[in-house]
Amino acid sequence: MTDILATKPTVTRPPPPRPALALASAIGAFAIGALIAATIQSNLMMTLLTQAIISGILATGVGFLMRQNGAVSFGHAAFYGIACYAIALAMKFGAIRVEVAIMLALVLPTALAFLLGLVIVRIPGVAFSMLTLAVGQAFYEFAMKARQVTGGEDGFSVNLSSTVFGIPTAIFQDPHSMFVVSWSVLVLIILGLALTAASPFGRLTVAIRENEERARFIGYETTLPRVLVLTLSAFVTAVAGVLFTLYNSFVSPDVLHWSLSGSALIMAIIGGPRLIWGPALGAIIFFFAKDIAGDFTEHWQGIIGAILIVVMLVLPVGLGGALAKLWQRRLGHG
Amino acid sequence: MLVQILNGLVYGGLLYIVSVGLVLIFGLRRIVNFAHGSLFMLGAYVGFSVAVMGGFWGAILAAAIVLALVGALLDITILQPLQREDPIVTVLVTFGLLLILEDFAQFVWGKDFLKMPVPSMFSGSVLIVGESFPVYRLVVIAVAALVALGLSVWLRVSKIGLYVRASSADPLTTAMQGVNTDRVSVIVVALGAALAGISGTISAPLLALSPSMGSYILIESFIVVVVGGLGSFAGAFIAAIAIGQVHNLGLVYVPWAATMIPFLLMVAVLIWRPTGIAGSHV
Repeated sequence: MTDILATKPTVTRPPPPRPALALASAIGAFAIGALIAATIQSNLMMTLLTQAIISGILATGVGFLMRQNGAVSFGHAAFYGIACYAIALAMKFGAIRVEVAIMLALVLPTALAFLLGLVIVRIPGVAFSMLTLAVGQAFYEFAMKARQVTGGEDGFSVNLSSTVFGIPTAIFQDPHSMFVVSWSVLVLIILGLALTAASPFGRLTVAIRENEERARFIGYETTLPRVLVLTLSAFVTAVAGVLFTLYNSFVSPDVLHWSLSGSALIMAIIGGPRLIWGPALGAIIFFFAKDIAGDFTEHWQGIIGAILIVVMLVLPVGLGGALAKLWQRRLGHG
Repeated sequence: MLVQILNGLVYGGLLYIVSVGLVLIFGLRRIVNFAHGSLFMLGAYVGFSVAVMGGFWGAILAAAIVLALVGALLDITILQPLQREDPIVTVLVTFGLLLILEDFAQFVWGKDFLKMPVPSMFSGSVLIVGESFPVYRLVVIAVAALVALGLSVWLRVSKIGLYVRASSADPLTTAMQGVNTDRVSVIVVALGAALAGISGTISAPLLALSPSMGSYILIESFIVVVVGGLGSFAGAFIAAIAIGQVHNLGLVYVPWAATMIPFLLMVAVLIWRPTGIAGSHV
């Protein structure tokens, strides 16, 4: 059993970043997305996939924080839900264009994460998880209580205009076309995060994760990089919230509840948080497992709890990590 | 006003009994049990089921015994094997356990809210400075005070109490002095779980029972433990009483913001003292 977060000390240099390869993989991934949407006819299947991809973006944000900061967040639903409510409330009360509302939905959670990060990133390990859980839940409680504004527990539907950024809103609400949109966004995010992780900044944050004291001793400022990782991770999460709101045009406090943060965390762990693309893979597995299990049992929650425990104990690198290891062995690197 | 302060004491007292279980385990092992709220929830349901035949004291006893066994099992099967891993592994595994226990409670007792009646011997209310106050709430305050007192004495005079205090001050030196934490941890975790069970049962007549009631109390007790300073008994006591008061006064004077106040208090304390009131190291 190895630790899921800490890496073994290693003297080998990481392979040099290969932007051309990354770009080629991204273009390939775009094509695969279009292919999936073109071949699968079933609406039910596409609905499931679209939900999985949107949650996959959320899980990618949670996983990136684990990968770079070694921090396990139980509160990312806050960033996701604030993005959802920002669009919904701006369209309900503000006489502003939907494009401006979307900008707001991306900026607000990101700015919040930055300010919050200044206080909480220095809190180590387990205490960080406890705190993010509590802080995240505060926003849920607020949305439940502020009935006049948020409609409380019932939530409300969002009035989107007929076009968003010149694209007909219907595109965002049909599972086939929305799958292509979400998939492409996910690919762009993974590409961006992979390049960030390979950059000097990305490697500095890994160094801080491994040994904060030593990184400080060498002369690096160690708080701000961790704050920026949290900020970036919250931004990715907010993107997922925006896509969710465009797709469903409905919000309720469920988008802020800690069980959503918990699910995202489980997806990240099943897929493998050490890989940038692991959490997204985990999300797809999560949704399919839920769909299959839902057909013959009501005990989905217990099953996912058991899966989490088994993965933690038996396969701490996640399924994605295991796949990557197999692939490397086939290529003869392993 | 006095009645409001008493109500705050009821909540603060319950919160302390739940949180102190987390503090005990953290003090000894430097880990946090995310399924601790589920133990509270199980205690409430066990008490609810036993109270029908066994009466109130029987219910408390049953909850304490059942949860002590669950706690011992938890320590032997999960906490001990994982102690060499990063503490975050224990967090995630106990989070999985939380999901399983909630599902289990839903399977046994159903999804719907259950209501446990106030024990008949404590029904009715007394006049306190001209305002009526339910007798049962006074009983809850008394039980909480007894548990707090008993636990403090136990921590002071018993050998295990000494080990827990020593370990929470400095785990390395304590281990070097020859204290085997494994030997005492079964008892400590069982005690923490039993306390969660007891507080679940005594709060059952005040709350609606549902499988998800554990998550709410878990988050509140995390706030208590973090504000108090992880691993500090005195800090947790002060934080629980303070949060009980602000929570309750908030409900009376600013009902729309009441649930937010403990969170705001926590953020304020952490900006002021990042390691909590008692300032223990994490």
